Amino acid sequence: MRQALNDLRYRLRALFRRDAMDHELEAELQFHLDKEADKHVRAGLSPDEARRRARASFGAREGVKDDTRDVRGLVALETLVQDVRYAARGLTARPVFTAGIVLTLGLGLGANAAMFGIVDRLLFRTPDDLRDPSTLHRVYTSFLADGEKRIDRNLAFPVYLDFARASRSIEAFSAFQTLQTAVGDGAETEQMRVTVASANYFPLFNARPIHGRFFNASDDSLPVGSPVVVLGYGFWRARYGGDPGVLGKTLRVGQSVRTIIGVAPEGFVGLNDQGVPAAWIPITSYAHERRGTAYPANYGWSWLELVARRRPGVSVATAEADLTLAFHESWRREAVSQPGIGTPDSARAAVTLGPLQFNRGPQAGQDAQVARWILGVSLIVLLIACANVANLLLSRAVSRQREIAVRLALGVSRARLIRQLLTESFILAVAGGVTGLAFANWGSAALRSFYFTAEESVAVASDVRTLLFAGVATIVVALLTGLVPALQAGRGDLARALKVGSREGTYRRGRARVVLLVFQATLSVVLLVGAGLFVRSLRNVQGFRLGYDADRIVFAGANLRGTRLNPGDLNALNERMARAAREIPGVTHVSLAESVPFYSNESRGLWVPGVDSIRRRGRFVLQAGGPDYFATLGTRILRGRAFDESDRAGSPRVVVVSDGMARALWENADPIGKCIRISADTAPCTTVIGVAEEVRLRTLTDAREYTYYLPATQYGSPVSPQLFVRIQGEAADFVDPIRRRLQREMPGSAFAAAMPLDRLIDPARRSWKFGATMFVAFGGLALVLAAIGLYSLIAYDVAQRTQELGVRLALGASMGDVVKLVMSSGVRLVVVGLVLGGGLALWGSRWMESMMFQQSPRDPVVFGIVTLVLLAVALLASFGPALRAARVDPNTALRSD
Amino acid sequence: MPPIDLPQGTLDLLILKALSLQPMHGWAISERLHQVSRTTLQVPQGSLYPALHRLERRGLIKAEWGASDNNRKAKYYELTRAGRKQLAAETDAWEQLTTAVALVLDQA
Repeated sequence: MRQALNDLRYRLRALFRRDAMDHELEAELQFHLDKEADKHVRAGLSPDEARRRARASFGAREGVKDDTRDVRGLVALETLVQDVRYAARGLTARPVFTAGIVLTLGLGLGANAAMFGIVDRLLFRTPDDLRDPSTLHRVYTSFLADGEKRIDRNLAFPVYLDFARASRSIEAFSAFQTLQTAVGDGAETEQMRVTVASANYFPLFNARPIHGRFFNASDDSLPVGSPVVVLGYGFWRARYGGDPGVLGKTLRVGQSVRTIIGVAPEGFVGLNDQGVPAAWIPITSYAHERRGTAYPANYGWSWLELVARRRPGVSVATAEADLTLAFHESWRREAVSQPGIGTPDSARAAVTLGPLQFNRGPQAGQDAQVARWILGVSLIVLLIACANVANLLLSRAVSRQREIAVRLALGVSRARLIRQLLTESFILAVAGGVTGLAFANWGSAALRSFYFTAEESVAVASDVRTLLFAGVATIVVALLTGLVPALQAGRGDLARALKVGSREGTYRRGRARVVLLVFQATLSVVLLVGAGLFVRSLRNVQGFRLGYDADRIVFAGANLRGTRLNPGDLNALNERMARAAREIPGVTHVSLAESVPFYSNESRGLWVPGVDSIRRRGRFVLQAGGPDYFATLGTRILRGRAFDESDRAGSPRVVVVSDGMARALWENADPIGKCIRISADTAPCTTVIGVAEEVRLRTLTDAREYTYYLPATQYGSPVSPQLFVRIQGEAADFVDPIRRRLQREMPGSAFAAAMPLDRLIDPARRSWKFGATMFVAFGGLALVLAAIGLYSLIAYDVAQRTQELGVRLALGASMGDVVKLVMSSGVRLVVVGLVLGGGLALWGSRWMESMMFQQSPRDPVVFGIVTLVLLAVALLASFGPALRAARVDPNTALRSD
Repeated sequence: MPPIDLPQGTLDLLILKALSLQPMHGWAISERLHQVSRTTLQVPQGSLYPALHRLERRGLIKAEWGASDNNRKAKYYELTRAGRKQLAAETDAWEQLTTAVALVLDQA
């Protein structure tokens, strides 16, 4: 006890009276040395010799001091403070050097923090307020359809009921779907996200409503449910100004008027990938409003997503087996009314429990894949940045050789020295990390808008997971950049270093630096090849002929909100809408349309005399349009004619088929005049009158997707109230005038919506746009970093070789010789990097293949351009130093040391 | 006989022993060890100081600045009560150890 107290007293004194104690120690040691010297003087030695002997028998004085300080027990903290001070002094003394490093690391770390935030959101994170996410799964079904395995996450309501009834291993199923639907009445009506959810959806979360309550099982009861709605926090603030008195008021959602029973807390998203919904409504009330009382037995309407919570102690495999059995039972029940679907065994029906995050599941989109790649790319950029910084620190360590040797000779231990150098790189890394977070915070807003809606975007600096990631990355960076120079400094022959310092007679380039540079060049090549490939893909996507002029077309439609119109009224509405749109100045053509690209597609069974198994030949989309359809869309007729005013309800049935469809059905035979039976094999012939160019309506990449066109007048039932409006000028400028004009024609609570057609297609192009943007940005960054690295290496070499070059010049080498000599040494390194990086890119190309758009990942043009760019950069970076080398004055160079 | 290095840990014991006679400063301790051991013990003078500070921290000795012979200020160390106990204990342990080791060496 007393000892512990004493210990504490000593340590406290050591901490707070450090300088005094150092002073005392200094005096104590000096006293010792003086006494020892006195002793030798008394023995008859000269005072100088006496002092020398005293020092010799004492040992390295700085070492003794360090050891004695170590004893004080505060050593870790104290030396840390000392090292930090020392490093900070050294760094502030060279502001340009320091700023360069901090900026380099900041760019590298910032890129990673920003990308991490996105990938984390897409792939790893579950909603914060989710209870026990580890036992929750998204439910996927798989089965064979037309001989191909299909994976589906949308299930019919009766399947959900069957699952809930039959499976033992699942504690609870929750069903939900988020839809775009009309919210509000009259002028306030807006198309918004609404989540339709089962009553047990809310108990998945810890969230509690801030006002009122969430809906429960009695609200979500079979078959009708209650007309209630829970508001999203953001919507409640925006529409009701955060008024707690909204409870009990009514709001029209979709077709029906609902009573507001609660408000969700701020930030509550649910299980959405698409952002915060405006409201939540019970499944049964929505299903009933859409499909009447028959929906609980309607196996054909697959629209719900399912999540399942495993019972404690049940493994995923067991639960999947259990659910597969339940699925088989459900399948057999469905087969009673739909014998065409076969048996569950023949269809290999099965259930898979996937991760909660949609983008990690079997149906993950290309966006997530691209995001994962970009995270990889940003890590490579960080590696390059690290290599660069390590290189700079190395060159500094080499030029500090003499300083380091002196400190070693004074008795500073090598371990202490390494610690000091590492402290320096830690300070640099932390400064870089902070800079990086600032970059990320500022730059990621743009990045995130590729992936997330506004209300979801969380600032980087306030996201704990991102901060944690950035912290770890910073530590790794510090170690990566600091270790090589520190170890290099801790090694080496002391006496030689003291004698010659950094000005050795012979020229020797550090192997570590060469390796780092080749490494950088290699990675840069890989990134630039990736950038080139993505840019070409993007250009292919943008230049890709969709088969219509999406940029010239506004899509407008009426949302009837359950207003039931008889066919005659609906046709009349269509007619009124088309006429109204045509009156707007700047509108050139208008046509009705049943299918809308990348939005909704209609299809019917087809029978063609002499052609079997049509469904295996591709996917055939049905379009029905007005007489101006082809002129409105800009889709070209390749053969025959388009339908026109003369093709009326009673006249002979006609159809225009797409080029690919003609070939898929009749190969090389002339399609004009052929017969197609639509909807039933007993239907009358519809005669092919023309062939149109191929169009892309569902995906950009599926080549087995064909379209056929019927005149709206012969469609059989009224076409949906949707229009394509061809305009002159910017499509965005027409959206509002068109919507306002059409609204005047709307019956009852129906409302009109309009948007540029391009907006519907953009999500399909997004992954390439994002990929190209990010690869180019990061590839460019990598190139700049590599160029700086090469420049600094060669400039440093030239400084080291001044004498040698002077000798060469003195012996008659021309300036040209010297320039060539210096430049070739730089270019050689880059060529090695080109070969290695090119090989790496070729090797990795097979994983790129799926992300390219009509683009080979082994495109010689891209590889060629990257080679040229890199060589040009190498020449540029080494030219300056080479010129300086050639201007070396032999006289000064030879005399200088 | 060439000087021998001190076994690990024995320096502390020797310092305590030297200080058990009277308070001394560092150099005097070093001189005393040198003379008493008839120059057989090789104690690097520098290594004395970390040991002194360690003992001070453990409360076995205490230090005070005082005037030395020619009126220079010197740091004098003296044993504390804990130090005396420690010296007695360690001396016993040392004697037991050397006796035991000697026994083994004789018998073998």
